[in-house]
Amino acid sequence: MIKFTINGKLVQADQGDMLLTVIRREGIDVPSQCHHQAVEPSGACRLCMVEITRQEWDGWSKFVTSCLYPVEDGLMVTTHSAKVIQLRKTIIDLYLARHPNSTEIMRLASEYGVTRTTYETVADGDDCIMCGLCTRICAHMGFSAISTVGRGHDKEIAPPLKEAPTDCTGCLSCANNCPTNFIEFTRDSNSLTIWGRTFETLACSQCGKTTITRDFAEHLSKTRDIPIAYFEVCDDCHRKETAKTMGRVVNWTREVQA
Amino acid sequence: MNFRFVVNPEVCTGCRTCELACAFAHPHDGKPGKSRIYPIDGGFKELWVPVTCLQCDDAACVKSCLVDALKRNPVTGAIELNREMCVMCMACVAACPFGCALLDPGQDAVVKCDLCGGDPVCAHFCPTKALSYVPIEKKDRIAG
Repeated sequence: MIKFTINGKLVQADQGDMLLTVIRREGIDVPSQCHHQAVEPSGACRLCMVEITRQEWDGWSKFVTSCLYPVEDGLMVTTHSAKVIQLRKTIIDLYLARHPNSTEIMRLASEYGVTRTTYETVADGDDCIMCGLCTRICAHMGFSAISTVGRGHDKEIAPPLKEAPTDCTGCLSCANNCPTNFIEFTRDSNSLTIWGRTFETLACSQCGKTTITRDFAEHLSKTRDIPIAYFEVCDDCHRKETAKTMGRVVNWTREVQA
Repeated sequence: MNFRFVVNPEVCTGCRTCELACAFAHPHDGKPGKSRIYPIDGGFKELWVPVTCLQCDDAACVKSCLVDALKRNPVTGAIELNREMCVMCMACVAACPFGCALLDPGQDAVVKCDLCGGDPVCAHFCPTKALSYVPIEKKDRIAG
């Protein structure tokens, strides 16, 4: 068990826990765009910076990304000191210049009182903050259908060769977890289009409600040993079926007892 | 696992008190949340079946989760969803053959029965004791 302080409060954590996990557990709001519990932290967005110091550092302190910094005994963490706030404001200032139309960045800016950017605004700036959360989640789920391509100004998230990705199954985890909702997909009655590839969605055999894509269901069925028939009925109809099946059993015992 | 959740549809009257109890026991933003238990018409006269998660041994939801967000709590025996790890791929919702992993559109999250951490509120409120949380006899107890 490791003991250290966050904003003067003594806290305990397990060996190997990251600072941000403990900070969030203590109910302290530290902003972060690229962090997700399911994947390894990458420290891409730099917003979770905190100030750390130790008794023996004689008043010196340093700034670290809390999502990547493992807890240490005797650490003194400050999450909202004037210096940290100023640092976060600068980062938000840069984000605001690069992504002027992103509602998430605007929300963050208003939270930290950054009213306008001091840098030159990028005219055709999109909403992708290059945090790489989508690529990390995609890789963690075992698909690796997308990655960052290019470098510098041209860096972007795309499937290999910017063609329709063959490894993608259309699970939408990338789009659902994008902090700025930049990843777009379109859905119609029986298909779903993402990353330039169109997927067939499964429809419930009883009520017609669309569920996940056929590719994703087949992938799960094959790799996780789940009968494909489970995916062919929606959750509402599954519950009704369960009630009907159990109802038959109960009715049969009633008849036997009568 | 010293207790188990027992559903007895024979005495269920379909009053939906369990549904209310569940919604109030899992609130969201100060409002009742999505219920994890639904009494559904069993297809015969005066027969209702409270359908909720059966906490399967070889659960399809756990197998379908590609990020290991669904894990069994060794104390209560319930399969619990770690919402911070969930990536919203909807695999568990589609995979559950009993339809008991649910999407809550109100909070944009997947929810499922967690036995209220070892004290199911629905069992407390069930007026006919169609739902109960009873100790397992030592001879019935499953190892682990």
